[in-house]
Amino acid sequence: MNNHPLRKSFQKGLVFGILMVFMVLIGFHVIAATLASKLFGANVLRGAIPEIRFMTYIHVLFGIWAGWSASGRTGRTSNRIFQGLVTGLTAGSFIALFDLIMNYLIQTGTDVRWYLSALSFENMDYFLLNLGQMGTIVHLGIYTATGLAGSALAVFIRSEAVQHGWQNLKSNISTFITRINETLPPFVRKYGKYIFYLIVLAVLFILPAQWGSYWNYVVGMVGLYIIAGIGLNIIVGLSGQLSLGYAAFFAMGAYSVGLINAPNPHHLMWGFWPALVIGIIVAVASAVVLGLPIMRLRGDYLAIVTLGFGEIIRIMLKSDLLINFTGGPHGIHDIHGPKLFGKPFTSDVDYVYLIFVGVALSIFLYDRLQDSRTGRAWLAIKEDPIAAQATGVNLQKYKLLALCIGAAFAGLAGGIFSARNQFTGPNDHTMMVSINFLCIIVVGGLNSILGIILGAFALKGLPEILREVENYRLLAFGALLIIMMLGRPNGLWPSSRPLIEKGDCSQIEENKTDEGGKNA
Amino acid sequence: MPDLIIETKEVSKLFGGLTAVNKVNLEIPKHSIYSIIGPNGAGKTTLFNCISGFYKPERGEILYFGQPIQGSATDFIASMGVSRTYQNIRLFSNLTAIENIMVGQHTNLKSSWLDAILHTAKFSREEKKSQDEAIRMLKFVGLSGFGDFLACNLPYGLQRRLEIGRALANKPQLLLLDEPTAGMNPHETKEMIKLIRQLRDELEISIILIEHDMRVVMDISDQISVLDYGIKIAEGAPKEIQANPKVIEAYLGPGGAALAKKYQERRRKNA
Repeated sequence: MNNHPLRKSFQKGLVFGILMVFMVLIGFHVIAATLASKLFGANVLRGAIPEIRFMTYIHVLFGIWAGWSASGRTGRTSNRIFQGLVTGLTAGSFIALFDLIMNYLIQTGTDVRWYLSALSFENMDYFLLNLGQMGTIVHLGIYTATGLAGSALAVFIRSEAVQHGWQNLKSNISTFITRINETLPPFVRKYGKYIFYLIVLAVLFILPAQWGSYWNYVVGMVGLYIIAGIGLNIIVGLSGQLSLGYAAFFAMGAYSVGLINAPNPHHLMWGFWPALVIGIIVAVASAVVLGLPIMRLRGDYLAIVTLGFGEIIRIMLKSDLLINFTGGPHGIHDIHGPKLFGKPFTSDVDYVYLIFVGVALSIFLYDRLQDSRTGRAWLAIKEDPIAAQATGVNLQKYKLLALCIGAAFAGLAGGIFSARNQFTGPNDHTMMVSINFLCIIVVGGLNSILGIILGAFALKGLPEILREVENYRLLAFGALLIIMMLGRPNGLWPSSRPLIEKGDCSQIEENKTDEGGKNA
Repeated sequence: MPDLIIETKEVSKLFGGLTAVNKVNLEIPKHSIYSIIGPNGAGKTTLFNCISGFYKPERGEILYFGQPIQGSATDFIASMGVSRTYQNIRLFSNLTAIENIMVGQHTNLKSSWLDAILHTAKFSREEKKSQDEAIRMLKFVGLSGFGDFLACNLPYGLQRRLEIGRALANKPQLLLLDEPTAGMNPHETKEMIKLIRQLRDELEISIILIEHDMRVVMDISDQISVLDYGIKIAEGAPKEIQANPKVIEAYLGPGGAALAKKYQERRRKNA
């Protein structure tokens, strides 16, 4: 028998074993079990340890995953199942070794929390399923069995019969959908898009009033990140200027609204709407100031300079030098919200509507811009600035334009942000915020509206909802980015180019055979 | 003296101590195909880059319709009607073929970003016109039906044609082609020669061509200049260039002229 696949399964088992041990070292197994128990409807108090059975589920799922990934795509069925068995056994043995160490620690009463803060006795006991020494053997058994089961499952799902059935089901569904499309009256087919928009609009109008204020808060946050994300996408995705200081423009909007519409430090109180407009103008002006000197920079250099710009703005806002003007490290409190037709915005619901309008506006603007001469010029600059210039695109003008429009979006989002929070301070505009914006558009998919919306929900909405995992946010970010790079390098929802010629395929076939004939 | 579209006067371009182009004088008449040949590193592409504004020549003048353009911005020169293609294809790879051509039309279109946002009548009219023209251009360069393919997904020969299409979308009066038949098979080369002739005869564009394939050069050129180490060593009609001993020596090394004569005689005898 060939030695190679076995070695590979052995390595895989080691990787899975190390992964599990690492998760225990940082206490992630308790969090995972908590999430699992929530999924089953059980309520776990923060910091408490969930029921034992959920830890067992985690073990089983992990083992199945290991077995699944170890089972190759080709080869004899028995070999593939055997590979899963080896992987499970290896992972189990590795974890069992770790168990022995933990048992020793528990028995001698050595507290290692000085070094590994998450490795408390409760957590260790929980990982061992409260079985002590027996846990070691149980682990070995579980992983061997689940590795075997996982590979068997993989063999079954990847078998031809199941795949064939799955394909059949998919094609059946698609024919069903086209048939429904054909039976629809022409009126619906023609205006279906607008009807769909109307329904979405209605849902968006009704939902916020039904949600609690927490949900409105989360959705509002996501909405603001969508607005800013679309703006950043104009800079990064369309015109190809990697900017790491986007939070500075966001801060311009936020601080303009704050300074103009709060009792301290200036007591101007001009009202929210003029303040918002001024915020947008200030953001655009700062984009011009930043943009003019850096027009010739590209790639890494541009990233560094914009990063520096973002930090300069934040530090200036924070400094004691400007404390009388910007409020210094304490920020600005009691920022007054907008009034519409004499009615002040009080609840989160009002703000969610305002943010929805902002999101709709940005999507509309983005959509119109990207499908125009301007948008194509931006994309050309991104693809190849030299060739773009040689076709007559004025690089400086268009780069600056992209920066200004992108900054305007950030000003809008920032202004609403500070009015909604009734507070803004330097810590709202750190470099991490810029990175977050960038992550959203990269993870979601550059130049794709749906991608940006998905990205904002995934990176901003999910962490708000999954408060338990908060301490592990960076871990999750890292894992997510790696998975994305491997699985979906173009983002969650990659963009596509519009079809303009709509050339039918028959013509192409004709062309090809034509050329083929000539060649012959 | 025929009408000149472009004239270089004593143009020199230095890179540090290296003189890439050394006092080159060219006079390129309207509606002609003018070839620049020479061994690798002779400064042909550098000369192109000077004309299209990527480089500013240290000395000399480049006159376009009698007007000096040396040192002007690339996009300004493009807007005056000078288009070019590149030795290694430089398409906008993640845009579709038709969008590439529409970017090429950039200088002919006037609608601004505000027009785009407001969808003014001007914008819609121009967009429609631009699409129609782009589709016509696709047809002209033989890419009908490939318009919605991403440029990077097109086969090599079509990418070359698309690059020419993008350059033509600018409605140029002068087209600089940098090795348009590089890497093509004989059939594709023949098609490309046909296309280049069409450009001169139907669209009345003047063409400057850099090319290494001597069959192509001798076939289509009205006039040829030969560069070697940045210096123009010969100029004339294809027949004259073929017989010029300086040219043969530049390509084959010293003594090459005698060698070439020998082979020519032997070929004549065999024939």
